[in-house]
Amino acid sequence: MSTTAGIVLPPRPSGRWRRWAGAALVAAITLVTLLPGIGIGFELTSLLENWRNGAERIGRLLVPDWSFFPRTVRPLLETLQMAVIATAVGAGLSLPLSFWAARTTNPGAVGRGIVRAVLNTVRAVPDLLYAAILVAMVGVGALPGILALVLFSVGIIVKLVSEAVEATPTGALEAGRAAGGSQAQVIHALALPDAWPPFVNQTLYMLELNVRAAAVLGLVGAGGIGLLIDQVRSFYRYDQIALIIVELVVIIIVIEAVSGWARRRLV
Amino acid sequence: MTSGANGSAAVPAAEPWGIELKDVTVRYPDGTLGLNGVTLSIAPGEMVAIVGLSGSGKSTLIRAINGLVPVTAGEIAVGGHRVEDAGARALRRLRGEIGMIFQSFNLAGRTSVQNNVLVGRLAHTPAWRTLLGWYRPRDLDLAHRALARVGMLEKLYNRADALSGGQQQRVAIARALAQEPRVLLADEPVASLDPPTAHTVMRDLSAINRDLGITVLVNLHALDLARRYGVRLIGMRAGTVVYDGAATGAGDDVFEQIYDRPIRAEDRVASITGEIGRDASTGEPE
Ligand SMILES: Nc1ncnc2c1ncn2[C@@H]1O[C@H](COP(=O)(O)OP(=O)(O)OP(=O)(O)O)[C@@H](O)[C@H]1O
Ligand SMILES: [Mg+2]
Repeated sequence: MSTTAGIVLPPRPSGRWRRWAGAALVAAITLVTLLPGIGIGFELTSLLENWRNGAERIGRLLVPDWSFFPRTVRPLLETLQMAVIATAVGAGLSLPLSFWAARTTNPGAVGRGIVRAVLNTVRAVPDLLYAAILVAMVGVGALPGILALVLFSVGIIVKLVSEAVEATPTGALEAGRAAGGSQAQVIHALALPDAWPPFVNQTLYMLELNVRAAAVLGLVGAGGIGLLIDQVRSFYRYDQIALIIVELVVIIIVIEAVSGWARRRLV
Repeated sequence: MTSGANGSAAVPAAEPWGIELKDVTVRYPDGTLGLNGVTLSIAPGEMVAIVGLSGSGKSTLIRAINGLVPVTAGEIAVGGHRVEDAGARALRRLRGEIGMIFQSFNLAGRTSVQNNVLVGRLAHTPAWRTLLGWYRPRDLDLAHRALARVGMLEKLYNRADALSGGQQQRVAIARALAQEPRVLLADEPVASLDPPTAHTVMRDLSAINRDLGITVLVNLHALDLARRYGVRLIGMRAGTVVYDGAATGAGDDVFEQIYDRPIRAEDRVASITGEIGRDASTGEPE
């Protein structure tokens, strides 16, 4: 307890060292990754050596092979379908899970801890790895791709929406409990209106992420345009890859416009 | 603005309940003593004003009565039903009979006034009905009558966050009334309102007690409001009851005893009618 000019401060709450410990940990991790031997072996010299090689390929990327278009239509549509279905299913699963994972709408620490632990695990695994594993389990095609994207979507939407739920004032929830509402009733009547805008926003953004992710899932046999990318890449057809990139850019821009429109209507 | 007791829109009252506290102690998880051995008996239909300095345990008392704050020791019974050892289901049913009004209104801002008032029907509505938004005609009718009673029916379809503070608090009162409560708990319901609006809301509460016979417990900061609208006055200090008597007879000396310090100007709400030192014999304003 310290005294300053006659006033007595209350004892400090413990745990203030955590912030410093956190900063020290980040610094230590950065240092270790840069150490030669154990680190990631990041070297500027190799970047410069390979540059000449890369410049020539980038040159070819600037001239897309437009005649390749007809062959890309079907796989592109499949990619889009995978992304839309996975986003819809993932969002549907995420909405109840978000309330389950948020402290303010699920006071039970045990259930919340389980949901969070499972979701952290789900989020830790890259979508491409899910796809690779699922291809081995259910076979080549769009289905393993969709399943991988559903997992990817749930991991991200639940994290962001449950954080938004926890950040909203809890007064209305308390009023609902004080009026004798059950947990489910309070969530539906009082937590949902506030959670809806972040949920819609995250879902629309998730659609964009899923299109991008779906485009490469084919590399491991999980359907979509990725398979085609893999083929033309092995023949060094950078002009054809360029066309696919142009198409993906157009799709993302269209989705951006559509989701902006949907956001104005849904939120 | 006057919304008091217009009989046509009166919500039918259920039999009011009394409240019994026996040696109730509340200790918060961090060790703070919220209530320290409080014993109280409140008869059905009483109008009680609870006063005390900040931190004296007023909110804790109110919130222990409907189980929002768990008690550490002692017994609480509302209408003969024990609160502190009620199971989750029984507690929800009990809370359905107890209306609560908060200082910060606690409405869901992004949804309509009607939906907010229907929250008062949650305990009496099966979950599947609330999920489908398919309320019984009787529930809707109760919600509408409650809104009419506080003069807010025309805002039925407005979003709650589009209302002024005073309007929001009246919607919150309607939400509590829609419960057809037997007890109404109000935790500093007018502390964030300007003086004229504070008087309107207090008049609503006092009319609810008088016309519907509902037991009303209201926490107040301002001693003139307590004196004017309370019938029974309970004074709290450091988690204990230090005064319990008629509100009308309580002079400044009583408040000085409760507060344990001289009365200051900020202990009063500037009254619209300028009757701070109002004579206790004058009738209730309408
Ligand atoms: N959630 C809590 N956790 C820990 N201590 C609390 C909590 N809520 C209240 N307290 C403490 O309990 C005591 C009584 O608080 P309470 O809120 O009942 O007072 P009050 O009379 O309502 O005050 P105010 O007029 O400021 O609302 C205070 O010392 C307060 O700090
Ligand atoms: Mg309080």
